[in-house]
Amino acid sequence: MQESKVKQIVDNLFRHDSGRLVSVLTRIFGPDNLELAEDVVQDSLVEALNQWTYKGIPDNPSGWLFMVAKNKALNIVNREKYKRKYLSDVVHFLDSEWTAEPALNHIFSEQQIIDDQLRMMFTCCHPSISSDSQVALTLKTLCGFSILEIAKAFLTTEENINKRLVRARQKIREDKISFDVPEGNDLEPRLTAVLETIYLLFNEGYSASGGNELIRFELCEEAIRLTEIIASHEAIKNKSNVYAMLALMYLNASRFKSRTSDRGDILTLAEQDRSKWDLSLMQKGFYYLEKSTADKTLSIYHILATISAYHCSARNFETTDWKSILSLYDKLAIIDDSPLVLLNRAIVLSKVNGPLSALKELKKIEENPALESYHLFHSTRGEFYLQLNDLKLASENFEKAIALSPLQAEKDHLKRKLDLCLKK
Amino acid sequence: MKDFLLLIRTEGDVWTSLSPKELQEHIEHGTAYIGKLMKEGKLKSAAPLDKGSRIVSDDGGVMKEGPFNETKEVIAGYFHIVAKDLQEAVDIAKANPIFRDIRTRIEVHMMKRV
Repeated sequence: MQESKVKQIVDNLFRHDSGRLVSVLTRIFGPDNLELAEDVVQDSLVEALNQWTYKGIPDNPSGWLFMVAKNKALNIVNREKYKRKYLSDVVHFLDSEWTAEPALNHIFSEQQIIDDQLRMMFTCCHPSISSDSQVALTLKTLCGFSILEIAKAFLTTEENINKRLVRARQKIREDKISFDVPEGNDLEPRLTAVLETIYLLFNEGYSASGGNELIRFELCEEAIRLTEIIASHEAIKNKSNVYAMLALMYLNASRFKSRTSDRGDILTLAEQDRSKWDLSLMQKGFYYLEKSTADKTLSIYHILATISAYHCSARNFETTDWKSILSLYDKLAIIDDSPLVLLNRAIVLSKVNGPLSALKELKKIEENPALESYHLFHSTRGEFYLQLNDLKLASENFEKAIALSPLQAEKDHLKRKLDLCLKK
Repeated sequence: MKDFLLLIRTEGDVWTSLSPKELQEHIEHGTAYIGKLMKEGKLKSAAPLDKGSRIVSDDGGVMKEGPFNETKEVIAGYFHIVAKDLQEAVDIAKANPIFRDIRTRIEVHMMKRV
């Protein structure tokens, strides 16, 4: 069969199955041998590529891959038993004739593999690993991203990503981080950490474009997929925040495709073509929002999800329920008074009470050093001045924003705003 | 939960006493039995014993070492399991499918733990 066709199938398989495979192999080899697990998966895929090119694709490609990986694991464990340390609770089963086969069956069963992915999430997102490294490791091990793909997603070099991965694996070894789902009182805080990392992952994909849009949407999809695993797992008792975060991600993801024009320009919420919003994703979002309100918890995710829901339910920008959104931002600002939240609140305020009141709000917070260097602060102010027809102050602010903006697509967007001011 | 050591003593060697088809089924039943124990979290380890056992003893101050051939009984292997009490461990032993294939005695010993 044609090699390129085989390669395409193998690549798809990789994306779909490698997370599951790395997870179950890590169960066997122990988290201190994470890299070995990744290598075995890699080797199995190379073998698939080679064999299938000559013999054709097997009926069950996934099953074939798992069987090859299983055999490789068995060989490694039995051959290298004295060379390597395995911090694993199942590896000893593999060197007894009575227990090797049933152990492999059990370890590779569907439920165990799901459990292992959950364990992997807690391992990758362990608080003693730096945030950057957590995200990189999650993408590499659980989501089947290559180092190149991760580098492209984060607009950095492969070398940098590799460093983050090496540091993460080292931390796991040094701190003897175990491969399991935390129990009792440990579960809540660790789950919070996992959700934070997944949310970071989602926002990397969702934030204003720059880099490959396809990869960015895949980041969002992966974040959602991982959270779905958590949401359906019985080991996680208190799921309210998980549902809220799922709601938020689905609702935001539903609007993903409308945010850039056909030419690749960034479109604001006001400019987006709402017919491009994905209704099935939106429906899932509303479903999880409903589920998240079962108990009375109110986390950041709950608030952000509800705000997103208001936007999703509005026919157009003007008829959006700004008053309700404003009161949600008031609640949000209490929990999180970061610059972006305060800015977004000011924008909503301008819809409820007009741009003058919003400018007053911005005046209150302009002393914040984080805001002075934040391009969105200046572009937001510029927008308000534009609405008030104060073209001089508007253009000053847009110029400042353009100078500070890190992304070309954003610069272009702001330049168009500036042109608007200068033409009037 | 308590730990138990199960010693599987068979009359002769199961490998020489069964036909190929019977051996195949023996393996399948054994795999299923062990798989179930594993899934229930009751199995810590289990392994067959190899040939060439020796017995070491002190006979009137003299260290002796000889072959393990006192009876025609063979220790086929061991199981290290966890169970809530001796009765449960006994029930687990009773369920071992090896009883169908060859004359077997299983010793059930409760282990002392710190």
